[in-house]
Amino acid sequence: MLYELVQSTVSGLLIGAAFAVLSVGFSLTWGVTQVLNIAHAAFALLAAYLGYFASSYFQVDPVLVLVVIVPLFFVLGVGIHQVLIKITAQRAHDLALSSMILTFGLAVVMENVMQVLWTPDPRVLKTSYTGKAIFVGPIAIATTHLISFVLAMLTIALLYVFVHHTLTGKAVRAVWQNPTGAALSGVNMGRVTNITYGIAVATAGIGGVVMSLIYTFDPSTDMVWLVYIFLVVILGGVGSVLGALLAGLIIGLTVGISGVFIPLVWVNLVLFLALILLLLLRPSGLLQR
Amino acid sequence: MKRSWLPQRWYVFLAVGLLLVLASACAPPPAAPAAPAQPEAPAATEAPAQPAAPKAPIKIGCSLPQTGPFAETAAWIQRGYEQWAEEINASGGLLGRPVELIIYDDESSAENAVSLLNRVITADKVDLLCGGYPGTAAAAQMAVAEKHQMVYVSMGGHMASFEQGYTYSFGAPPLMGQWWYDGLFRWLETVPPEERPTKAAVFTMNNPIGASVVDLIPTELENLGIELVVNELYDLPLADAAPLVSKAKAAEADMFFSNGFFADGVQTVQAMKALDYNPKLFAQAVGSIIPAWVEELGPDGDYVFSGTAIHFKLPYEGIDHLNQVAQEKYDSPVAPTYFLFGYAWMQALQRGVEGAGTLDQTAIRDWLKSHEITTVAGTFTFDERGLPPPYNFLTQVIDGQVELIWPPEVRTHEPVYPKPPWGQ
Repeated sequence: MLYELVQSTVSGLLIGAAFAVLSVGFSLTWGVTQVLNIAHAAFALLAAYLGYFASSYFQVDPVLVLVVIVPLFFVLGVGIHQVLIKITAQRAHDLALSSMILTFGLAVVMENVMQVLWTPDPRVLKTSYTGKAIFVGPIAIATTHLISFVLAMLTIALLYVFVHHTLTGKAVRAVWQNPTGAALSGVNMGRVTNITYGIAVATAGIGGVVMSLIYTFDPSTDMVWLVYIFLVVILGGVGSVLGALLAGLIIGLTVGISGVFIPLVWVNLVLFLALILLLLLRPSGLLQR
Repeated sequence: MKRSWLPQRWYVFLAVGLLLVLASACAPPPAAPAAPAQPEAPAATEAPAQPAAPKAPIKIGCSLPQTGPFAETAAWIQRGYEQWAEEINASGGLLGRPVELIIYDDESSAENAVSLLNRVITADKVDLLCGGYPGTAAAAQMAVAEKHQMVYVSMGGHMASFEQGYTYSFGAPPLMGQWWYDGLFRWLETVPPEERPTKAAVFTMNNPIGASVVDLIPTELENLGIELVVNELYDLPLADAAPLVSKAKAAEADMFFSNGFFADGVQTVQAMKALDYNPKLFAQAVGSIIPAWVEELGPDGDYVFSGTAIHFKLPYEGIDHLNQVAQEKYDSPVAPTYFLFGYAWMQALQRGVEGAGTLDQTAIRDWLKSHEITTVAGTFTFDERGLPPPYNFLTQVIDGQVELIWPPEVRTHEPVYPKPPWGQ
């Protein structure tokens, strides 16, 4: 029992961090701009494919490909904001609903393009460290999971520093907490939202590579990942970087630990009961102010 | 305040409508009906040369997942259908008429599959039906076929779907979860008791396919004297395979069943390797029979036992030809399982039509139930449920090849047992 508990706890923590980095950008755009970017997971999936092809055809480690993916996706995020979101925001009566429908359409288009380009075949990312593990006594730490964890924690730490300790980051927080007040204080709303989208899509790219190190994927996987994203954001609190991290880790731990004590088939029941309970106690999520 | 000329909620409906149009426009269009090759012109006679009116094609309709999670496998079923149509048209058609396939995309949704089968029957007025995929869609479509009294040949939706009293449905061959490990257990009976695994851990996805696969495992294990130490269901998607593997490892199970799809199967393999858990025997259900298993997993996918109702190495007539077609047309080294399935189902339908000599559905049904038929999947007779006698082949992935292990008359490779350590 002790072995199962420790092993599942370690594994759950590592996976939880992956959920967190996948979700944090979605949380940010929702919090700052009231936009539910359903296509967030599709961008993550796109990054997973880029990592896969770089690894399969050019023998480049997918983690190294992030050097290209992050700036590329930042620009992509700014572009999406300028071309789609901004126009919708100016015209929509209910931005949350309109953006949800708009980005759902974008996700469907992206899924179909990926399917046409890369076939519906499921993919498994193989790296030089896939299937290897570091053993601490009898407890195995899968190398792919460990690298995902480090990458996720690094990303979230950098994002936290940006949001809390830089002037631009503080402007992002200001817009999230009080858009009218921020605008009256001279915050350049357009610039802040552009940066928010750039960062959000860039973190989706990191999240996609991280998830692909752990999970198989195909062109429709984004909808599965979206479920994790919603879970993390609702539990952690919309717009909260630390909330996303905490929620991701809680979800990972719940999945891991509850499977030790109860039948595996009840794990989702426990997870959603915990979610309902937490939302009853803290309707805005764990860390939303 | 400026008033909108439409209530706000109508904008939502309009937006949803537009999105649906956009989504359907983005999805690949329904497969273009296979171009019917015209049968050869009848031999010239002394009668004045009048161009013979082309015979109306026999329309065969169904839906398949051309998009969504089941699209990869279904694409091969469709290719099997198209290959059969191409060949039968080239050889003069069915009952002397060309055949035309009408296949819609059900987007991997059983609900869509039902409405699309209704559509091909009532709107397209097809003469014959082709089978859907996966089991959930096929099971749902069997009820539609029965309602319209049309013969429906498919893999079915496991045993439960064939026990609904339907009379027009046939599994030719079926994909029966309950029979999945029949070959494995029959082979294990030949392994000396002291060499058999002693403890088994069984993890099964929590859905109808999983339920049908796991159905007979406890009884079969008991008959073999193997202790069942863990028998659990898990929900899909599987977030983490480590708890499964650590449970099996802690229970010292030397036989491991991973009764899941590809994604959770791969996760389980990777967790087994990472946790250095190497049972003597590793059996995997549905996930390991698709080509991606060996292509994507590489050597880590080796030595897994599974089952199948059809295989590209079977010594049956037509298999070699289909292997060649798969290679030349689709650049696939061998004919994938579902390519063979699709082709075999159409062959079974063809046998029924040709045997009955008519498109009358009841006549086709009755002929199939009273005669033996031969397809690339073997020779079949059918009971009242439309099922052949229970059978399944045992397979094992060895050096990246899916080999036939059991029964002995089809064996292509000696089984590798016990499983070698990871990386060897």
